[in-house]
Amino acid sequence: MKQPTSLTLRLTLLFSIVATIVFLSFGWIMERSIEKHFESGDRKELRLIAEAVRPVLESIQINQNPLQIKQRFDDILVGHHHPLLRITDNSGKLIYNSSELNLATVPLPSERPYKEKIQQWSANTDNHYRILTQQFTGNNSIPYIITLAISTDFHQHFLSHFRLILWGMIVAGIIVMGLMSWLAVRYGHRPLRHITDQIGHISSNELNTRLAPESVPVELSELAISFNDLLQRLDKAFDQLSNFSADIAHELRTPVTNLMTQTQVALSRTRTIEEYQEILYSNIEEFERLSQMIADMLFLAKTDNNLDPLDLENIDLYGEITNLFDYYEAWAEDNAVSLSLEGKAQVHCNRLMLRRALSNLLSNAIRHTPKEHAVTVKLETHDDRVSIVVQNPGEPILSEHLPKLFDRFYRVDPSRQRTSDSTGLGLAITKSIIEAHGGNIIVTSDETETQFQIILPFTD
Amino acid sequence: MGSKGSFKKMKLLIVEDEIKTGEYLKQGLNEAGFITDLVNNGLDGYHQAMTESYDLIILDVMLPDLDGWRILKSLREANKNMPVLFLTARDSVEDRVKGLELGADDYLVKPFAFSELLARVRTIIRRGISPINELILTIADLELDLTRHRVNRAKQRIHLTAKEFSLLELLIRHQGEVLPRSLIASQVWDMNFDSDTNVIDVAIRRLRSKVDDDFELKLIHTIRGMGYMLDIPDNNLP
Repeated sequence: MKQPTSLTLRLTLLFSIVATIVFLSFGWIMERSIEKHFESGDRKELRLIAEAVRPVLESIQINQNPLQIKQRFDDILVGHHHPLLRITDNSGKLIYNSSELNLATVPLPSERPYKEKIQQWSANTDNHYRILTQQFTGNNSIPYIITLAISTDFHQHFLSHFRLILWGMIVAGIIVMGLMSWLAVRYGHRPLRHITDQIGHISSNELNTRLAPESVPVELSELAISFNDLLQRLDKAFDQLSNFSADIAHELRTPVTNLMTQTQVALSRTRTIEEYQEILYSNIEEFERLSQMIADMLFLAKTDNNLDPLDLENIDLYGEITNLFDYYEAWAEDNAVSLSLEGKAQVHCNRLMLRRALSNLLSNAIRHTPKEHAVTVKLETHDDRVSIVVQNPGEPILSEHLPKLFDRFYRVDPSRQRTSDSTGLGLAITKSIIEAHGGNIIVTSDETETQFQIILPFTD
Repeated sequence: MGSKGSFKKMKLLIVEDEIKTGEYLKQGLNEAGFITDLVNNGLDGYHQAMTESYDLIILDVMLPDLDGWRILKSLREANKNMPVLFLTARDSVEDRVKGLELGADDYLVKPFAFSELLARVRTIIRRGISPINELILTIADLELDLTRHRVNRAKQRIHLTAKEFSLLELLIRHQGEVLPRSLIASQVWDMNFDSDTNVIDVAIRRLRSKVDDDFELKLIHTIRGMGYMLDIPDNNLP
């Protein structure tokens, strides 16, 4: 998969494109409005001259001296920006022409009367004009055609100069904007690089390091918080793993030491067959414990890491627990403990795993119930969850032990360590199974009884 | 001794690269009345299985040259359909499924108890022998009526609970064989994991008090370190 384009490049490009669009629109509007301004100025001037020409035309007499007429028209043009004026009568006879430039070649506007339409006209490649053509009927009923021209070269020159500067500024503006946005984005990403640096420096023995969410911009504090959560989980798992390895070593050390000592002592001198047999029997008990421990630890590792797919099915808890009671009944009776079950519930679980989890809780409860008392299992279905409570009367478990009860190899009474058959993994296995099913387990203990409660999500 | 006779002359092949494990297995199975051949690598195992005829092959999955799965596959392709019991140090569902898909008959994860292996070997071999549909199982003066769920000893009626009856039936059907506690728990109560309690011992003790205590001839025996066995005692028992 191709890596997505870098954020810096993306943002820089985006800013540059926006800047280009803004500058271009701005330039276009500027140019248009200046052009409009010039055009309306020219129009005003042309009309002004035309207004002045009319009364002169009206006052012309047939027999008037042509020089005198010319003088009057010349006077009108004085004080304007060198306009050109040409007046003919209807038949095309020239009455006045201010310049040698042949305005006769200017095409007449198509619609009549000529009204006030302004035309663009180029005399040659260098000289451009704006032309106003008007038809005017004087008091002697002679129609005149007035053609007024004003040069736009000066404006064109100004405009092209202006355009050059404008576009130069726009290009420079775009480049500067691009650079600035690149710098801004780089600067804006500084906290991100900072946080990356920080994360990069966390090694496995510094998992207790935390990022400070308040020291980063608000957009990144979410990231910092999630990262801290991740660190915490890692830290915990790492801790557990190292403790677990240490525990395994310790738990294995004891039986292996026993086995070695016993065997070496046994071999140190000749013994009777019965003695040898006794030693072998004793050995096999240790081996069974070791083997059980290995199996339990592998099971835990698999459950914790969800290595095996859970094969879920609907389980009638009442039936399942009745079966377990059936299994433990004789042993419980032997310990003068009775078993009772209340309520009904159904769960969607892996049958073998759930059975194992409940079996561990039950055997644990039966073992710690005083004679002539009862272990009670209560099933309840709430809206979206099922509660399984296993309670037994007995010695209270000190509150300092409660949170550690589900830890691997944790034993409330250290002296019990070697006397019990238990591997010390039963409750850890139960917790692991329940959590693999998305549930949780809690333990409470008071003066009169100890209670384990499993909460499983309820699904049909 | 007892039904052990039915396994006489049964020939097993053990393919196991761990020298010690292989030798102990061979010795144990020989003493349990089987004829065994032992090879220490996959290739020899394959040739041996192709040329000789065996009633069961005990096959280690992880062998240095040719692994157990490939041996099994080649055997099945060559139409050799003798039962195969896999031994493995790895336990994952995929492995188990793979083995069973290839046509393995059972699967045992190391470390295992020898009594467990023995019980499984016997179960697999018994599958090949057509079961005798007896309605009444008898041993010495003990009678188990399967249709009416009744137990008599020396013509006296013995009252058993349903589970005690199942337990006794299991023991009689496997008379002369040592049954490990885990196998009893799984067959009678469907508990497929080892419990850290002595539930099975208590159950056996209760059964014993009903079946054996009032009689001279004891039928249910504790085999220390291994499990329980129902048999007519002879001088070989400790």
